[in-house]
Amino acid sequence: MPTSFIILFKRLFTSFIVLIGVSMLIFTIARIIPGDPARIALGPNATLEAVANLRANLHLDESIIVQYGYFIWNLLHGDLGISLYTNRPVLLDIGQFLPATLELVFVAGFIMVAIGLPLGAIAARYRGKFIDHVIRILSLLGVSAPSFVWAVILMLMFAFYLPIFPIAGRITDSYTIQAVTGFLLLDTLIAGEYRAFGDAFWHLILPAFALALSGIGQAARLTRANMIETYDKPYIEMAQSYGFSEKRIASKFAFKPSLIPSMTIIGLDFAAMLGNAFLVEAVFAWPGLSRYGVAVILRKDLNAIVGTVLVISATFLIVNIIVDLLIAFINPRIRFSTRRS
Amino acid sequence: MNKLSKLIIAGLMTASSLTMGALSVNAETVLRLDEVAVGELDPAKASDYADSILMFNMYDTLILPKQGGPGHVAHLASSWETDGASYTFTLRDDVKFQSGNAFTAEDVVFSFERTKALGAGLSYLFGDIESVVAIDANTVKFTLARAYAPFVASLVRLPILDKKLVMANLGDGEGEMKDWGQAFLSGNSAGTGAYSVVSHNPQEETVMAKSSSYFAAMNAAAPDTVRLRYGLEAATVRTLIAQGQHDISSQWLPPEVMKALVNDGAQLFKEAGTGAFYFKMNTTKAPLDDVNCRLALANAFDYETAVKMIAVTDDVAQGSAATGAIPVGMFGANPASNTSSQNMEAAKQYLADCKYDAAEMDIEISWIAEVPLEERFALLMQSNFTQLGIASHIKKLPWALFAEQVSKAENTPHISQLFVNAVTGDPDTLLYGMYHSSVPGTWQSPEHLNDAEVDKWLEAGRAGTNDAEREAAYSALNKRLLAIAPTIYGFDRQSVFVASSRVSAPALTDPSKAFGLDGMGFSFRLMEMSE
Repeated sequence: MPTSFIILFKRLFTSFIVLIGVSMLIFTIARIIPGDPARIALGPNATLEAVANLRANLHLDESIIVQYGYFIWNLLHGDLGISLYTNRPVLLDIGQFLPATLELVFVAGFIMVAIGLPLGAIAARYRGKFIDHVIRILSLLGVSAPSFVWAVILMLMFAFYLPIFPIAGRITDSYTIQAVTGFLLLDTLIAGEYRAFGDAFWHLILPAFALALSGIGQAARLTRANMIETYDKPYIEMAQSYGFSEKRIASKFAFKPSLIPSMTIIGLDFAAMLGNAFLVEAVFAWPGLSRYGVAVILRKDLNAIVGTVLVISATFLIVNIIVDLLIAFINPRIRFSTRRS
Repeated sequence: MNKLSKLIIAGLMTASSLTMGALSVNAETVLRLDEVAVGELDPAKASDYADSILMFNMYDTLILPKQGGPGHVAHLASSWETDGASYTFTLRDDVKFQSGNAFTAEDVVFSFERTKALGAGLSYLFGDIESVVAIDANTVKFTLARAYAPFVASLVRLPILDKKLVMANLGDGEGEMKDWGQAFLSGNSAGTGAYSVVSHNPQEETVMAKSSSYFAAMNAAAPDTVRLRYGLEAATVRTLIAQGQHDISSQWLPPEVMKALVNDGAQLFKEAGTGAFYFKMNTTKAPLDDVNCRLALANAFDYETAVKMIAVTDDVAQGSAATGAIPVGMFGANPASNTSSQNMEAAKQYLADCKYDAAEMDIEISWIAEVPLEERFALLMQSNFTQLGIASHIKKLPWALFAEQVSKAENTPHISQLFVNAVTGDPDTLLYGMYHSSVPGTWQSPEHLNDAEVDKWLEAGRAGTNDAEREAAYSALNKRLLAIAPTIYGFDRQSVFVASSRVSAPALTDPSKAFGLDGMGFSFRLMEMSE
């Protein structure tokens, strides 16, 4: 069996176990948060009878084990229940809000990799020079300020004082795009609305940069440190003595090995962006799942809390599996050790 | 700035104008406003401000509050008569729903039954209605279990639904009525209103379109489309309004942001007379079970500073000085000139008469975590009480935890801070739930008051057969509530909104056009867009 399949199978199995654990944990925690979900859902003025009826409908008077049993049974039938926050099926909410967050996080992730890694490589290549100092200072700035601070700064600079980018939302109101995938960049292309594609892309730039800036700094700093460490390795000296060009040494012998630890951190950063996206989504009025997740927690919307956490956990696990596979692809030692074990 | 920088900025500006070009293509007028998420489309579940805005624009009621003063006028009804125990409404025969179905008495009966069956939102207002019967297609009779003067006012919270349309769209559920159309009405409108829903994303926005055949008065320049956005951050609203991409803010914008926008040329809309901000004292917990202690705290509170803390500009604040338990403008309110003020001498005297030792007191002042403004008032109170030699500590409580704690008197903090509104504009809906001893502990009644005289006047207010009787009952109630001080009456609330200069809303700027009911000033049909 190919090594990548073995790795994939192992990761899928452990991910399944993790998801079961997460579901049990979040199911319990959601019920420990203070407040009666039925009362919150029906409003402060609802009658006691109505609250009691809703509690009965939600099985809130049963033991937590019985409630979990109902949850698993419904989950196996593809039903995550009704959100008390939006009064719609949780699956429908997630289907509507998840693509918005994923689109934002994917673009932010792309920006993080496309800018962070080259910056780190350039800093390492010109270690101790002026450009290295500039990149290090910028990286430190990116890492030290949280995403929501960047969101407000970018909005002030590029939407308020210099009105170049849009302030809120995913697309200009006047465009009506039929949702196929939920990813506006794709849906606009599917619809052949190229102007709308440009508009949706334009709306993505500020929030994606705000979300990515911290990751860019981290990726640059990590890549720089790893490459500098690699530059001190004997085989680099050997390559230099063989007369390989500096460009080839940097890209072929120094950059590739230093990617392995960076990839792991970038994978974790990507997952962290799913959580950090909340504040960026709030500032840019981005109708995503992170914002929805916080809203349902505040309203103790049990079904929606569990559904949202499960979906974010699953996304996190999928990204990590992909990262593991990529690392195995880049690093032959992992492939061989997997095969031996 | 070097040449390259200039080129980059020029390129970005060009791209920006290309992508935003779509904005100017459309000639229709669009009104954009925001509120706290989430907007509830189903009118039987409406209770929040956003829900009310949606309800008042997509649905109509039998009566409406009279503009500029107390009382009500016929709306879907053409007239009504009463013998005290029953009310018979003659309905207009020229009204059609947005679906094209004719409006009849059956729709009124259906709307009432649905509201009662769901038991959500403000359905508790209709608990004393014994039956609702359609006498004929244009006559409907409400029979009450007992005399209940606020009944007519409560009808502003009974929106009329299109029975045929809802019945044709029943979702999964048990019994003949299945889900009572809840799934359908969570994404669609089924009313006679001036606006109908075009799209609804509960986290992002609700888009509404103007009806071309509305039966009542509509401004010719009323917005063609309305976009009610949810959950916008203050910084976002500030930028959107400044860039001309937003028209009316929510009332929850911090005063500093409102002031900055006013300085940039924005105008202020106001809505007042239906509620107040209260500091509620737990009358069952020592030392506040002693009326003298409560009066000491009430006299020590700095009312003037409290109003300054909510000032938006030199002339406009998010409230005005309180005159008692009842906001100015309602039955029983004291004259606007009788404002409460700090009186430390009186406070010291009351404290001396209190059976508890001030040195041993430790007052718990809570504030709701979701309302940061309350922390400032908590600090103000702490400072005021320190002047009396009373120690206190401040406790932050999330709303959900607060609502749970107040159900039991022993768990309720000494002092809780709350905005309370009369949901129908009638003082009964403001005061009964707060002070009547028969009402179990709720978020409205952290005082846990049990006072026979207060109960008597509250019941007299409900039973009054004319305005004079009700005025007398609520006036006596106000006097009693000031004497026993279960609450520090902070200030009469005034909701303030920032608006761009392109929108005009007489119901929110001209007191003679105001409705005296929260949210009704946002009747879009009465607004005017200048472009």
